[in-house]
Amino acid sequence: MALINSILTFIFITIISVTGVYILTGLTGMFSLGQASFMALGSYVSAIMVTRLGVPFIPACIIAVVVAVMIGFIVGLPTVRLRRDYISLVTLGFGEAITSLLNQFTKLTGGASGFTGIPKITNVWIAGGSAIACIALAAFFKNSKYGRQCIAVRNDELAAKSMGINAPRVKMVAFLTSVAITAFSGCLYAFFTTYVDPSLFGWKKSAEWIIMVFFGGSNSLTGSILGTFLLSGMPEVMRALAEYRSVVYAVLVLLIINFKPSGLLGEWEFTLRNIKALFHRRKPEDDNDNYSDTSKEIKNDGTIRS
Amino acid sequence: MALLEVEHLYKSFGGVKAIQDFSFLIDPGEIKGIIGPNGAGKTTIFNVINGIYEADAGIITFNSEDITNDEQYKRTLAGIGRTFQNIRLFKGLTVLENVQCAFDPVAKYSIAECYLPLPRRIRAEKENRKKSESFLEMVGLEKFKDQKPENMAYGLQRRLEIARALACQPKLILLDEPAAGLNPTEVVDVSHLIKRLADEMGLAVMLIEHRLELVMSISHTITVQNFGETIAVGAPSDVKNDPKVIEAYLGRGDA
Repeated sequence: MALINSILTFIFITIISVTGVYILTGLTGMFSLGQASFMALGSYVSAIMVTRLGVPFIPACIIAVVVAVMIGFIVGLPTVRLRRDYISLVTLGFGEAITSLLNQFTKLTGGASGFTGIPKITNVWIAGGSAIACIALAAFFKNSKYGRQCIAVRNDELAAKSMGINAPRVKMVAFLTSVAITAFSGCLYAFFTTYVDPSLFGWKKSAEWIIMVFFGGSNSLTGSILGTFLLSGMPEVMRALAEYRSVVYAVLVLLIINFKPSGLLGEWEFTLRNIKALFHRRKPEDDNDNYSDTSKEIKNDGTIRS
Repeated sequence: MALLEVEHLYKSFGGVKAIQDFSFLIDPGEIKGIIGPNGAGKTTIFNVINGIYEADAGIITFNSEDITNDEQYKRTLAGIGRTFQNIRLFKGLTVLENVQCAFDPVAKYSIAECYLPLPRRIRAEKENRKKSESFLEMVGLEKFKDQKPENMAYGLQRRLEIARALACQPKLILLDEPAAGLNPTEVVDVSHLIKRLADEMGLAVMLIEHRLELVMSISHTITVQNFGETIAVGAPSDVKNDPKVIEAYLGRGDA
């Protein structure tokens, strides 16, 4: 039972991080290879607040998120005006810089040997509740004016700008939202494992999150979460396979990316309307009929007018 | 003062002089066509007016304000809408959402409300949807509002682009080959639509088009571009018979 609880808690925490990555990568099309460093910031800041300064857990989390967002803003300022590929380079550099800084400031962070003595506060209920809250936040964001603008910017930045969309601002909002969510997942992580060290937050972690988003469907929040659940849960389920787990993982990811490039769920979202549609699926021919009808009308219109 | 005043505009890419000394005036309710062979720099003119490219020299005044160095999105908010030669709709969004995007930059709710559906957001969203639907109705696409734009016929995508540009509530609309790839009946439809934009809605319309019968029939004046230079300006009937224009289109005769 304790094992299942701990696996679930880890999955929930990863889901929170990936929700942040979904907003950044899935929704806005920005690839950050330094996203894990914001999780590190969340972990370390909240841990230092609680253990060194005696701040209670919840205010410590809020402070950690605010600090991460402020640092994110500084990183974001030059980044959001760049093209996609350069964004990943800048964030990669930043992320690696953060991990080396954490290694250097031994007095404050414990350096490479890690930060110990964090009280255990996070449990499966806190992690699960937080995950649901973050997913709801992201879902509301997706359907808001910024969500639509994010998708517009991802699809065609030029066209988005000529619709009056301030692309750098939209990217910044998405970036900071994802930073806040990822930093929060770091707080939960630190207070669950009671120990963090810089090597946990390298670029590989960020890349893993991006894989999870693409595995489940980069255009679907539901898909991203499902992808996370499968990919982070699978290694635990297959403990018996030992090293072959990574092989299975890699093969699975390759299969999906090759045969379903839009991910497991594509663009499908878990909403009441889509569930209903699943059960009363309209036949494709109906759609076609509709279609030709209207085009006929237009034609009639045209001939009457001309 | 005219709505849009372009004075002595220059733009080159490396050694290619895409625009040379281009001047242009347009007022509300006018339709002005720009024609010319391929590579004459027509779309570049739109891109400079719209802010995709910066002008090398020249002044662009819109609504009595100098917008020459403004950012692209600011020019749209100031009232310049446009469509693209190669349709550029947002693929991840539905037809309705594509139009809604035009209202989003000016939607009246805060960032905090993007994370929580508070009453003000719900009201603003409803209003946006209603307004967007009215623009879809204007171009006859209300039945397709929940479809994905990439699944629609080409002609309908063109209409959607116009609806999306109109939803930005422009005073000036730049239409870049709105009839390209359309069948004859659709062309008639589009030309009616463009006329309505100028006559009923009082928009200034700048039109790039290769279908001469369309431009000639609805434009008030026509500017002919060739290799970045303006070679003729005038009423459609005058331009049609201008020897320079005939030469640019057909080449010089032997005689």
